[in-house]
Amino acid sequence: MSVSTHTVELTGVGKRYGRARALTDVDLAFGRGVTGLLGPNGAGKTTLLRIVATSIAADSGEVRLLGRDPHSSFADVTAVRRELGYLPQELGYPSDMTAFGFVEYVAVLKEWNDREARSQEVRRVLELVGLADQAPVRISRLSGGQRRRVGLAQALLGDPRLVVLDEPTTGLDPAQRADLRRTLSALGHRSAVLLSTHQTEDVAALCERVVVLAGGTVRFDGAVTDLVATAQGRVWLADETGDDALVSCRTGSGRHHVVGGTPPTGEDIAEPSLEDAYLLMLGPEARRVHAPG
Amino acid sequence: MATGTQGWHADPALLSSYLAGGLDAVTGASVEQHVSRCETCRAAVGRLIEPVLLERTWAGIRAAVERPVLPYPLRLARRWGLPEPTVVLLASAASLRSAWLVGAFLSLSFATLAAYASGGTALAPFLLAAPLVPVLGVAAAYGPRQDPLEALIATAPYGRTRLILLRTIAVLVSVLPGTALLGLALPGPLWLAAAWLGPALALVPVLLALAGFVGPRTAATIVSLAWSGVVLASARGLAPTWPVEAAQQAVYLVLAVAACAVIAARTGSDRRLGVAL
Repeated sequence: MSVSTHTVELTGVGKRYGRARALTDVDLAFGRGVTGLLGPNGAGKTTLLRIVATSIAADSGEVRLLGRDPHSSFADVTAVRRELGYLPQELGYPSDMTAFGFVEYVAVLKEWNDREARSQEVRRVLELVGLADQAPVRISRLSGGQRRRVGLAQALLGDPRLVVLDEPTTGLDPAQRADLRRTLSALGHRSAVLLSTHQTEDVAALCERVVVLAGGTVRFDGAVTDLVATAQGRVWLADETGDDALVSCRTGSGRHHVVGGTPPTGEDIAEPSLEDAYLLMLGPEARRVHAPG
Repeated sequence: MATGTQGWHADPALLSSYLAGGLDAVTGASVEQHVSRCETCRAAVGRLIEPVLLERTWAGIRAAVERPVLPYPLRLARRWGLPEPTVVLLASAASLRSAWLVGAFLSLSFATLAAYASGGTALAPFLLAAPLVPVLGVAAAYGPRQDPLEALIATAPYGRTRLILLRTIAVLVSVLPGTALLGLALPGPLWLAAAWLGPALALVPVLLALAGFVGPRTAATIVSLAWSGVVLASARGLAPTWPVEAAQQAVYLVLAVAACAVIAARTGSDRRLGVAL
């Protein structure tokens, strides 16, 4: 039963690069909706996304995408790719192409062979990311945020059933991020969207589901509210910095926001944020990631 | 100036026959003059035109403005029946642009001229350049290091291998005929005009096979240095035609077959995911 309801199903997936293990025994299944992937640099986020995007093969374990095994045959992987939208972490843009030309090029690679239908689709996705007016502008003249949105536009071509976005919000200003969230949550009604980010607020605003990846393994997989709940009672507003706190910082009011460790003196229990819960989930690794000061 | 028709407006019947082209030249011209100055009548014309027609015209204008201009060789190929989606894919390849092709033919022409001037004793410039032009063209089609869209192309249903082969064929089709014509101008026996084809057709698969391991730029450097080595070494004491004589041609054939085998083996093992070339 559950097999058919999930767009993506990974079971015991592992991947190594030479001697370094990028992913170990990852189990992950998701369907329609937006799933957020959080984790420090080097946690294996990009590797996981590349496996789901059929860019690389897993070394071990089972991968099922849209009910097919992409490793089994050329026909299967092509069938998956026809319903896939992928924004890689690093996307080079041929600088002499225009925004329209770039998205059109990708559209041809995605087998939009009819010229009229292709033009309409290219225009539609450029409009979705708010770049309709920039269509005839060369990519070299666009800002970093605009380029990122051109990259996002190509991932939306043809309303794919599976959308994989590697850090779609980098380089976007707050207003653009808000726009992007709106686009993605609309997309999540129809498609399975997997995105990675460093911004816990993106996940809080956008995702029903969050997966925390660290050291190549899944540390948490569940609803965003459940992750926040794990930090309940471990976050305080206090007069002093906690001695053994995981993270402690002075807030605008002059008091200290203390996460983890033993309760500091003069403490009031504070409502944890997703960020607090995420840092607590990472444990000592968080110090490296989020060194205070 | 426009006092005569101020306050007067064309009636719908007049505008309809204007739009249908049913007015005589003088009346038509004066209605046109009036409409260009009178906002009310312009709006009336707008309501009389079929929205579908207007939409289609506007879409055509938009497409013409937004769509990037194709390089001349590709426009030519399009006219000769190359499918439109293929043209879009090839338009991104730098070595199919006019500038690159003109540069390639200029350097080949100089090489031919040098061989001609020497009366057949110095074939080296031509034998050096002729096989390297398609090799460098294929390598340059990728872009500076590798295709900047690498990750996208690898996961698109069209397929990376197919795209690379398409570009390779396009480069060969655009440079081989011209090189063959220049070859005819070489002094010496007639077979010389086609002899460079052997190494040219062998070095391209060698380049593609190497590019799968070290990337197109390094592969192009290795192939260029190796071929220059062969030609320059033969220039010391050997016959000018040595690099393209029968025994050497056999070696090139073996190399080409080996390179194709490597590509095929990698395609077979990596076919499902990832990359062959």
